[in-house]
Amino acid sequence: MKDLFAEVLGKPFGIVLFQLLDATQFTIYLSLIAFIGGGAIAMMITAARVVPGRFLSGLSTAYTWLFQSVPLLMLLFLLGLGVPHLFSLRVDPWSAAGLALTLYTSAYLAEVWCGAIFAVPGSQHEGGKALGLTLFQIMLLIILPQAVRLAVAPTIGFMVQIIKGTSLAYIIGFHDLMTVGRRWANSPVPGTQPFVIYPLMAIIYFSLCFPLSVWSRRLEKRLGSASAKSGGKAAA
Amino acid sequence: MADLRFFEIYRNPEYLWLLFQGALVSGILTISGGLFGFLAALLLAAFRHYRIPVLMQLATAWVEFIRNTPLIVQMFFIAFGLPLLFGYQWPFWGHALLALSVNFSAYFAEILRAGLASIDTGQGEAADALGIPKWLSFIKVSLPQAVAAMYPSLNSQFIFLFLTTGVISEIGVTDLTWAGVFIDSRSFRSFEVFFTLTVIYVFMSLMF
Repeated sequence: MKDLFAEVLGKPFGIVLFQLLDATQFTIYLSLIAFIGGGAIAMMITAARVVPGRFLSGLSTAYTWLFQSVPLLMLLFLLGLGVPHLFSLRVDPWSAAGLALTLYTSAYLAEVWCGAIFAVPGSQHEGGKALGLTLFQIMLLIILPQAVRLAVAPTIGFMVQIIKGTSLAYIIGFHDLMTVGRRWANSPVPGTQPFVIYPLMAIIYFSLCFPLSVWSRRLEKRLGSASAKSGGKAAA
Repeated sequence: MADLRFFEIYRNPEYLWLLFQGALVSGILTISGGLFGFLAALLLAAFRHYRIPVLMQLATAWVEFIRNTPLIVQMFFIAFGLPLLFGYQWPFWGHALLALSVNFSAYFAEILRAGLASIDTGQGEAADALGIPKWLSFIKVSLPQAVAAMYPSLNSQFIFLFLTTGVISEIGVTDLTWAGVFIDSRSFRSFEVFFTLTVIYVFMSLMF
């Protein structure tokens, strides 16, 4: 593969492009970890918000507020440097970056999903009650099918934020597109100047993010969105 | 086990001064980046709203490209790529301000566009009927309504962007994150330092 790139595109450039694309896989893996892990936590946070009981819903609100307010960069520093120093642990960049992005993602997804559930009109809930359904049945059969339609578009849209967020993981030593790109941009090899490498990296990030943006917008047109209710922040 | 030594930071006046300066630099650069970005966003949104040929497509391409690439890549290109390409040298904060303005402009433009689209077309037609030139009706009629309608979104987007500005420390700007990294390298109290920084960031974002 590498030889093919070098042969077709010439010596420094082919190798640079191959290495960048090769490193992009780690950007994608990290994004997927954050999305899946964050989604799982967000589900629990959302469930805690909608079940009756003030304590759980307060806890869920606090969680969402906390991790939406803490900058991603600080989460990375705290989990990648702070916690290992404090407890004299060795934490590898995969766990630290994965956990930081998971927490970051979970808060925003929980916000989107709660917004979608609360955007379903209250009369739907009352209608279910009148039919004698239990809370669990109302949720599963009436509210969730409608809420999912509203939540899909902003959820896909948020994946763009996750991918862009992974570009910060290099700060705690995570090896991805950003690391390799920076190394080339700082190298004295002619043809790998910063004004060549960074636009190239931007194009790679763009080709990961733009299809998701377009997809999210199409879904939003087709299915509607709860972003009006949960604020433009997460959907942006 | 863990021993927390926050006092190692708090009782050192040099560290406190660095944190204060860093918070000031972060705040000032974010606010001025936000203002410049907002002005650029007005132009971008106007180009797209009035469907001015060529400029409209360029504005759309700009907004989409900026919104779908990480701030840090844009910033490295502006700080290291452009000066090498055109042979100029600015202070670090100049590059950071340009990068933040560029980044903010795209996000604000998208929100303003939605705001402009939400205004009843009768408003523009009424201004037309009164003989108000188009640029004046944009400033006096459409814009105030769009900004008023979109103020909550603009505000939360601004705070969201403020929380990402820590990356400017990576090009040497002595902002809040830079102060934290510096103190960490001196004191080795990483957890305490970044916890303090987080609290300062959260408090600053609550002020906006």
